[in-house]
Amino acid sequence: MTRPFSTYFAALLAAVLVAGAATPVLAQSGPLRITIDQGIMEPLPFAAPGFQAETTGSEQFAADIARVVAEDLAGTGLFRQIDPASFISAPGGFGDQVAFADWRAINAQALIKGAVSVSGGQLVVKFRLYDVFAGGELGEGMQLAGTTDGWRRMAHKVADQVYSRITGESGYFDSRVVFVSESGPKDNRQKRLAIMDYDGANLQYLTDSGSIVLAPRFSPSGDRVLYTSYESGFPRINLLDVATVGRREIQTQAGEMTFSPRFSHDGRSVIYSLSNGGNTDLYRTDLGTGQSSQLTNAPSIETAPSLSPDGSQIVFESDRSGTQQLYIMSANGGEPRRISFGDGRYGTPVWSPRGDLIAFTKQNQGRFHIGVMRTDGSEERLLTASFLDEGPTWSPNGRVVMFARETQGASGASTLYSVDVSGRNLKQVPTPGGASDPSWGPLQP
Amino acid sequence: MTMALRPQMTPGTSVSAVAHAALIVWLIVGWGFNSDPLPFEVTQVSVVSGDEYAALVAATSPQPSTDQPDAPAAPAADTPPPPAPAAETPPAQPTPEAVQPPPPAAEAPPPPAPEPPPTPAVVDDTAPVAPEPPAPVQPPPDPTLTVSPRPAERPATRVAPTPVAPPPPDTQIAETATAAASQDAPSPTVVEKPAEAAAPQEAASQIVPEATPPSRAPTTSPRPPARPPQAARPAAPQTPAQTATASSETPKPAAPASNETAVNAAVAAALAAATSSSSASASAANPGPPMTGSERDAFRVAVNACWNVDAGSQAARVILTVQFDLDQGGKVVGDIRQIGAEGGDSTAVNTAFQAARRAILRCQKDGYQLPADKYEQWKQVEITFDPSGMRLR
Repeated sequence: MTRPFSTYFAALLAAVLVAGAATPVLAQSGPLRITIDQGIMEPLPFAAPGFQAETTGSEQFAADIARVVAEDLAGTGLFRQIDPASFISAPGGFGDQVAFADWRAINAQALIKGAVSVSGGQLVVKFRLYDVFAGGELGEGMQLAGTTDGWRRMAHKVADQVYSRITGESGYFDSRVVFVSESGPKDNRQKRLAIMDYDGANLQYLTDSGSIVLAPRFSPSGDRVLYTSYESGFPRINLLDVATVGRREIQTQAGEMTFSPRFSHDGRSVIYSLSNGGNTDLYRTDLGTGQSSQLTNAPSIETAPSLSPDGSQIVFESDRSGTQQLYIMSANGGEPRRISFGDGRYGTPVWSPRGDLIAFTKQNQGRFHIGVMRTDGSEERLLTASFLDEGPTWSPNGRVVMFARETQGASGASTLYSVDVSGRNLKQVPTPGGASDPSWGPLQP
Repeated sequence: MTMALRPQMTPGTSVSAVAHAALIVWLIVGWGFNSDPLPFEVTQVSVVSGDEYAALVAATSPQPSTDQPDAPAAPAADTPPPPAPAAETPPAQPTPEAVQPPPPAAEAPPPPAPEPPPTPAVVDDTAPVAPEPPAPVQPPPDPTLTVSPRPAERPATRVAPTPVAPPPPDTQIAETATAAASQDAPSPTVVEKPAEAAAPQEAASQIVPEATPPSRAPTTSPRPPARPPQAARPAAPQTPAQTATASSETPKPAAPASNETAVNAAVAAALAAATSSSSASASAANPGPPMTGSERDAFRVAVNACWNVDAGSQAARVILTVQFDLDQGGKVVGDIRQIGAEGGDSTAVNTAFQAARRAILRCQKDGYQLPADKYEQWKQVEITFDPSGMRLR
């Protein structure tokens, strides 16, 4: 019995050796495998030949809409519009075949074709997006209809669609920002609430300059605004309806001052700071029932609360450790956990709509920064640095941070800036006069 | 006070306590009467040591030894040997317990403490019985050990020759509670549970190695078998056609008469198959020499230059693998297929795939510059796009 076993073993060994000898030949016939771990970071070039005017009287709308779409995309820093002078082929009609080779030749990676028609005050905008190198359409064509007054919003919506299809993330162009509009000298500055499109267009004032207003905050649905008003001589939280501009004071827990309000994630309650007897704590008040509850109870100052997108946690600033730092606790209160440990002081934290980051203001060595960190305090990155940067607010998709920047000196003024979460594309948001305390609202329906 | 303590103390402790008390009292009294301690101390040392020496010289050696055993007897009889100190000072002093007890020899003689009891004890050591033979220091009796006897394996049997009665079954807790059986309830028929198999108890009191462990070593080393018969061997070096014939013949179980022949035939078949496959592939498509590192790097760099990564997007968290075919001009043929993705949701994966596809298509231009003579090796390409190093940190 031992002889066959050993012989079989020898046979198996021989087979393995033979197979091994043949392996290199077989391996070379497989696919060529490579790994690419370094790429480039540059704006994606796109071509947006003017939208086709399909009806008489729609030419201006077509040109304006194409311009706004291009500005929206290029304004993100992620896209770059190709100069129309370099186009090889004419854009042709909306339904014409696309000569992809001509667009590839000018390195256009995306092509936007659109058409506009106007009929009796009704505006219809349609568009198609092409992946030039794939030689096909990216998504399906889309048509939007509205009034001619809303042409700008329709352009923003087209840009949002293009942005979303290319980046895989929702856009933020069809959104608005509420802020404190400032005018006059520093020692007699007039402040009033204002609302505008994210790009500074369609500015409207919500309050007059009769009293000081601070810290406006959009509701999750974008139809209401909370803000702090000094109309009564003391800071009080007010609720303003954006459509009717009607406002009322929020009945909160009794206290000397209520300020720094922010909506809960569902918009049904408001969390804020209440100062009483020299101590400031966080409270929550249900907007429907008026019931209030105390969230913190410490001899230190707790303020600037911001809820996580799921409403389960609150990030806020506190000086309980001796310096101003960021803390996170349960939405119903409880023991807070400190998350900021770097040098300097941290304040005005805001939870990202994505839920993965927290934006904050940092003061260190006489400079102010806008920064972001993970919700556990890790991976802190400073996006800006200046004499005074403060009050960050997130775009609806969590990709851009807007904040107020004040210049130095007696004639210094505050203006709004935005920066990509990567730290790139820092740019000023156009506002008439000074502006501070921005709050970026959600995408409009 | 001493009466109260006595029941709780051992006789030895009591004797020690009383002796200490006496010693302390004596010391206190002695010091109290001495108004000039310094000179007294000097003279006392010399005088006392002289007296003590004389007393010790006069005394015989057995005296101290007999006195010492007597000392414990005294407290047992409850008669304090030093009457003077006991009457002098109140015995209420509890300090004896706290004070470190001096050597018992000092308390035996009531005279002054300087009495050096160790001296007589040393003298007393003359008794030759005390020292024990220094056994451990003994050198080996026979340094010239010619043969080192190997420790013989103890033929201990770990298993008793007769089986031991099985132990009573362990109490097992049922998973479900059972109602307690009442007296009236009819006793259910007890079913004898089969006793669990248990190893018999060890017969030996200690674990010893197996006396005769089963050996797996081959008892005999078989000689290599003889070469196979000539008939089965020449199959390998045949031409492919002939090899196929040979391999088709080898499965015949009837041809080899013995196992040896069958094995030899199998070996021959394996050799023939390997030879035929390699020769067949070589003849079908010659892949040529493998691609060099620089050729692969050049291809990688060409795609690198067109892979646009949006570091702030969710797609930057996706590691994506795609596969595609190239024609002999280095241009993509057919679709680019996604064959793997790791990280991110479906939207992010889709965005990452679009970016990868754009990179491949954009940078091909007139075709990737790849060695034409190695087309077989790059006609199909698999690229993994890994943006881990480009994410925001």
